[in-house]
Amino acid sequence: MMERKYLYLDYLTCIGCETCETVCAFIHDGSPNIRIYVTENKQYVPINCKHCDDAPCLRVCPTHAIYRDEDGAVRIHEDKCIGCLACLQVCPYGVPFYSLKVKAITKCDMCAERREEGLEPACALMCPAEAIQYGPLEMVLELVKERRAKNIPEHQRELSDEELKKSIVSGYSVL
Amino acid sequence: MRGMKFSFLCRSKPERTGKRVAIIGAGPAGLTAAGYLVCKGHDVDIYDKMPEPGGLMLFVIPEFRIPVERVRLGAKELEEEFEVTYYPRTKVMEGEREDEGDEFYERIVKLSELKEKYDAVLIATGIWNVRRIGIPGDDLEGILSPLELLFWIKGHELGYVPKEKVPDLEGKRVGIIGAGLTAVDVAFECNRLGAEVEMFYRRTIREAPAGAYEINILRNRGVKWFELVTPKRVIGENGRVKAIELLRTRLGEPDETGRRRPIPIPGSEFQVELDYLVFAIGMAPTPPVNGSYIATDRRARIVVDSRHMTSVEGIFAAGDVVNGPTKVGRAIKDGLYAAVSIDRWLRGEL
Ligand SMILES: Cc1cc2nc3c(=O)[nH]c(=O)nc-3n(C[C@H](O)[C@H](O)[C@H](O)COP(=O)(O)OP(=O)(O)OC[C@H]3O[C@@H](n4cnc5c(N)ncnc54)[C@H](O)[C@@H]3O)c2cc1C
Ligand code: SF4
Ligand code: SF4
Repeated sequence: MMERKYLYLDYLTCIGCETCETVCAFIHDGSPNIRIYVTENKQYVPINCKHCDDAPCLRVCPTHAIYRDEDGAVRIHEDKCIGCLACLQVCPYGVPFYSLKVKAITKCDMCAERREEGLEPACALMCPAEAIQYGPLEMVLELVKERRAKNIPEHQRELSDEELKKSIVSGYSVL
Repeated sequence: MRGMKFSFLCRSKPERTGKRVAIIGAGPAGLTAAGYLVCKGHDVDIYDKMPEPGGLMLFVIPEFRIPVERVRLGAKELEEEFEVTYYPRTKVMEGEREDEGDEFYERIVKLSELKEKYDAVLIATGIWNVRRIGIPGDDLEGILSPLELLFWIKGHELGYVPKEKVPDLEGKRVGIIGAGLTAVDVAFECNRLGAEVEMFYRRTIREAPAGAYEINILRNRGVKWFELVTPKRVIGENGRVKAIELLRTRLGEPDETGRRRPIPIPGSEFQVELDYLVFAIGMAPTPPVNGSYIATDRRARIVVDSRHMTSVEGIFAAGDVVNGPTKVGRAIKDGLYAAVSIDRWLRGEL
């Protein structure tokens, strides 16, 4: 197995510019997997699959249509999906959606096709604010800390490495 | 830190097509279009009037939102890995017009010249014209353009602007009219430089385009927030700003944007003393033409068809210069789709 990769979206650093959503839509026929939500007082929240370490969707799927690939991405076997939406019910972020076109659940696959060609997820490469980090856990941890240090004090948090790791892996099985 | 990867669609430059594209404006729209076009094998030259590529992301938006290195390394990768050539401090213009940031350019090239020299041209020159409010006294000394002020502050940090040029704001009273992204960024920077900042907005915090979240951060830092007020005139003394006279407003019926229209209340005038005043009430497109050569609409936006092509065959346009003020993501989207069209047009498929 290759080293587990993480895709971390830092709400504290995101400026809501929608670049991630744009490039994701561009490489997915106009349907983005990552989306920016805006709260009533205009805080921007990028929402995407966290490829959780202990992924509830993967555990609940009755047909084992959800699996983890060698980089750690949580993926869908489209031909095995029966569209029961059990995964959507248990996902803490409401991420999976049913695609009438594919006739299966779809969601972020951490740019699977791009990874095969040696390219990284497009959102992380293009986010101007550097709010999206991709890579092995320790690397993501360091990059998030380095980037948060540039934030204004209101967008910084006193977190231990352990606490920040929990936020990155979203599921605590590695800890 | 790594740079934005504008060429995110490929690992290295494929076989060259031999086609040459000129891009005018190295903001997010222009750089992203360049990234797409080099991935398709075209040769790209980028002209920009500023000393360095990056556009508003580099010269205006504060470091805590978009780190300088993130943009710099991204632009550099296009140059080093994909042989993009930059022509900085070069203003492209057909006709004449003064825009914000003009103090940085050293030479002028005509749009029509680029059209002759290249197989295709993309215009991505943004909105570098600050709207004037048109009230008595709005040309007094001490009234600063929000873009200029932000260029000076960031340009100084980037090493392009001498210290004398940046107004010493320590302890000064700075008034800002507006509540959009620009108003808020001016407020952050002036607050950081030690000014006493007051913001004036004609609607309420709930309608403020920058959002209550950002404005409340500023208020917690001591920025004063006045809502439901609109400027009536600027009062000067010896040619310099001394105070602003404001009228209170109330909100009426929703206007065409769906927000409730502010209605000034007669007789409610009051004055606030100030040292500097910034009108951050909007910006307008700055196409590299002035009323002729390519078609623009009455709001100065470049008119394009579904292929992002302007009224001149072979000249395309993308980003804020086409759409008016938007966001980085929208400019990037436009740059990408315009580049798709340029590539197809160069291949004779469009
Ligand atoms: C203060 C401020 C804060 C903002 N904050 C945010 C934010 O937080 N999030 C967000 O998503 N968006 C924000 N925006 C909006 C965002 O910056 C723009 O939508 C985006 O940069 C537009 O990209 P562009 O490529 O079309 O143009 P620009 O970034 O404006 O780039 C245009 C380029 O063209 C060059 N140029 C102009 N005229 C000529 C000429 N005649 N010849 C040669 N070169 C020329 C300029 O030097 C510049 O480099 C902000 C804007 C401002 C002003
Ligand atoms: S690209 Fe980055 S800053 Fe922009 S919306 Fe996405 S996560 Fe936020
Ligand atoms: S539970 Fe949701 S966020 Fe976690 S891996 Fe499954 S789809 Fe992704």
